[in-house]
Amino acid sequence: MRNRPKQVGRPTNALTKAKYITINAFLVFHILAIACWCLPIDSPLITLCKDRVRPYFLWSGLFQSWDMFSPLPKSANTYVEATIVYKDGSRTTWTFPRMDQLSLTERYFKERYRKFAENLPLDQNDALLPDAARYIARLNSTPSHPARTVMLIQKWSFIVPRADGSYVPEPWSQHILYGYGVKPEDLQ
Amino acid sequence: MKLRSLIEAWNAFFFAPQSPLPIVLFRIIYGLLVIATLTLLRPDWLAWYGPHAWVSLSTMHTLEPGTRLNLFAVIPQTDAWINAFFWIFLGSAILLTIGFLTRLNSLLVFLCLASIHQRNVYILHAGDTFLRVAGFFLIFAPAGAALSIDRRIRIRRGKEDASIQPRSPWAQRMIQFELALMYFATFCVKLKGAPWLQGTATYYILHLDEFKRFPIPSWFLHPLMLKLESWTALVLEFSLGVLIWVKELRYIILTLGLLFHLSLEYALNIPLFQWDILSAYILFIDPADITRAWDWLRTRRVASPSHPA
Repeated sequence: MRNRPKQVGRPTNALTKAKYITINAFLVFHILAIACWCLPIDSPLITLCKDRVRPYFLWSGLFQSWDMFSPLPKSANTYVEATIVYKDGSRTTWTFPRMDQLSLTERYFKERYRKFAENLPLDQNDALLPDAARYIARLNSTPSHPARTVMLIQKWSFIVPRADGSYVPEPWSQHILYGYGVKPEDLQ
Repeated sequence: MKLRSLIEAWNAFFFAPQSPLPIVLFRIIYGLLVIATLTLLRPDWLAWYGPHAWVSLSTMHTLEPGTRLNLFAVIPQTDAWINAFFWIFLGSAILLTIGFLTRLNSLLVFLCLASIHQRNVYILHAGDTFLRVAGFFLIFAPAGAALSIDRRIRIRRGKEDASIQPRSPWAQRMIQFELALMYFATFCVKLKGAPWLQGTATYYILHLDEFKRFPIPSWFLHPLMLKLESWTALVLEFSLGVLIWVKELRYIILTLGLLFHLSLEYALNIPLFQWDILSAYILFIDPADITRAWDWLRTRRVASPSHPA
């Protein structure tokens, strides 16, 4: 009888074979699903695949998007600040931690604020604004000095490429993102 | 290529037993990165995830609907419970790092990590996402097969001998696949952006105040250099996504990738991102080379006058 060379990684007994088939199904499914989810290909088949795996990906935490500084890197310096008007008519300004004004160590701890302030002005995230305004109201109120209104303002300065590669900061512009009338229960 | 040889190549790639050292080292680095992430978040555990957080649980449900693996949806929304959640998470990450009840703790760490990501997706960077998806596959890996308390216990009980048994690397391959796909997807998305093709993209990035870390030499900002930097990023991301699978090119590409990330770490302020990504490079190193490096280090240690044999 001729001895067949043993194939690398192939299962031998029935239990191992069942495990091997299960793992292979797991691998094939995840490789295809993750590739369809991540790759920016406009095709009805890919869209269909994404729609089918969406509930599983969202549930399991396998959702992912890889678009670091792309397709278009941000072309303006931006930050978000809040004007808080108090019950007595006085006002103050509170700014989300700005990385360029923090020490190296502080930046490590406050990076999440940069990301949050970057996401806050996006149209699809409008629902975040009332929560953010309420949080800022709580942060800047005391029982004797409660906030009445919070106005979230986005400031930006465009980055304009110059032929010689030099950089001259453009003037800052601003627009009001959201105005919120603070309710007493917001400050609890 | 015949179907039979394709199946054999698949089996060799995913199932041919190999030393678990790369995935074991990845587990340790991964655990340390999760600990670092939680430590950096520590002052703001309640600000981001508490009952009166920046984003309420109900707003998150509105913005991100659907059933999610999110422990915050089931634990009581009080400061004490949220703090307890984080201390358990931190404890589990420490146990994963040292390799005690490794499988259970890899599952717990993934559950907790996925939960904090689901609780607020608006404060995450790509490094966080990579840790989460890698953590999912780490659950299935033999991450406690070496350099772990679990292994010491197994040896003491006579269930294992001193030699480290080769294991099937399919879970490790999935994390490798995730890393390569991350680079390739980024490369594909960048191709859709004119600034990357024209070579002006790095001009914008290097002038974003929020990302500036250490000073960059002025010649680095010359228009020709900026073009070169933008195109180099494209070439590297393609190579790290595709050519990394070619064995003969792997170490050259990994070295270039390492230099690329270290230069980004110097220039840009994105805490932990570069290290989150670099952690998975270890998975591409041949276990035999890791063993050789380990033996070399041990020989040097023994030979060192401060550590007499």
